[in-house]
Amino acid sequence: MNFLGFKRADGKVGVRNHVVILPSVACANEVCNAIARKVAGTISIPHQHGCAQLAFDAEQTARTLAGVGKNPNVAAVLVIGLGCEVVNSPMIASRIAESGKPVKNLIIQEVGGSPKTIKEGIKIAREMVSYASRPRREKAKPYSLILGVECGGSDACSGLSANPALGVTSDLLVREGGTIILSETTESIGAEHLLARRAINKKVREKILKIVRRTEMRALDLGLDIGKANPAPGNYEGGITTLEEKSLGCVMKGGTGKVMEVLEYAEMPTKKGLVLMDTPGHDAESVTGLIAGGTQIIAFTTGRGNPLGSPIAPVIKIATNSPLYSKMRDNMDINAGEIITGDKTVQEIGEKIFREVFRVANGKLTKSEIWGHREFAINRIGPSF
Amino acid sequence: MKKKFFKKIILNHPKDNVATAKSPIPPGTLLPFLKEGRIIAKELIPFAHKISIRKIPKGSPVIKYGERIGKAIRSIEPGELVHVHNVVGERGKKG
Repeated sequence: MNFLGFKRADGKVGVRNHVVILPSVACANEVCNAIARKVAGTISIPHQHGCAQLAFDAEQTARTLAGVGKNPNVAAVLVIGLGCEVVNSPMIASRIAESGKPVKNLIIQEVGGSPKTIKEGIKIAREMVSYASRPRREKAKPYSLILGVECGGSDACSGLSANPALGVTSDLLVREGGTIILSETTESIGAEHLLARRAINKKVREKILKIVRRTEMRALDLGLDIGKANPAPGNYEGGITTLEEKSLGCVMKGGTGKVMEVLEYAEMPTKKGLVLMDTPGHDAESVTGLIAGGTQIIAFTTGRGNPLGSPIAPVIKIATNSPLYSKMRDNMDINAGEIITGDKTVQEIGEKIFREVFRVANGKLTKSEIWGHREFAINRIGPSF
Repeated sequence: MKKKFFKKIILNHPKDNVATAKSPIPPGTLLPFLKEGRIIAKELIPFAHKISIRKIPKGSPVIKYGERIGKAIRSIEPGELVHVHNVVGERGKKG
């Protein structure tokens, strides 16, 4: 199945056409917000980080911000820095420029304060919007699609309805040559043997086991029980009893394909087919890692109800049960609860999600986009100093 | 597909010793499943929660999706609600 998308200089294809005003550091957030408020067709992506970070932690934040800018859903980027931060704006801008798209960079301390930077930024943003409004959607092949599969606010139906159905979708897209990124390492604990069994080679198998062990050890080393936070209180209320039960349902979203590679947080896949990304079970952090890895669309299952979106990618919400679908219909795009009631099969809903992915790729807005949900959170792996 | 849908419960895998309630099941409800018989709900099983379909001795595994999801911290009779009060997970915490 083909779709209509925006072809980028690096050969990638976007399903959206955003102009992003990106702070490299939290101190630049309000300047970015002010520019985005003034220039229609732009979005700012405020975040909390970029300063007083070290080594691998600073690199992960930089990789995330650069990855968001490189994402094919983004037409052009204006990066704004303060001037004294570790994750500086010239570095982020040059990493984004590797993709060949228009990128500009402003430094508040060099331009001379907020109003001057806002004024200068507005001028640049206006030009970027004019540029971005020119291209039309063109026919693209499904192998250009990267679909992130995510679950949040799971219940005990997740593993029976929406997640296996999304697994069918994943298998269909992989068959068409596309890529699926399965994330949330915490929610692989207790199900990692099923993924490891499907690894394409020994190296991938070992990396799957390594990222799961690493995540589990982070809690054990602190003497803490992951089960106090994941499953979350709402998961327990929804009938999930243990982390293993949640994980076994969670990994079904990836389908049944071979695991081709394992990515670090916010890393871009180098292989087609099913790949894993090491992200935490925090939905906003996980989705942010996925979009930084080049995911154009997220398919997100929920049993308790979750409205989460993303600044640059459409998020398709799939309800695991019909009571939730009725109650939070304003936030839900597809009801997989019909599987529980016996009205539809897992295969039928999987095919329905697959068709919806292509409709959304062609431009149909998801509920998360219509409501302006733009949740964004960068996963930290070190303290601030 | 190994999953079996019955009138009120879903049995995900033949090895499972728990099934999932398709809607709230009041105590005393007779639940026919498979050929091996029927169980009676001993208590209210809320929507999507698990009901034991076999006796699960204390310390033995609770199986869903054909996989181990935790162990029984006390003996669980067929028809009982299976949740955090009688099952504990074994991962992501000190053993």
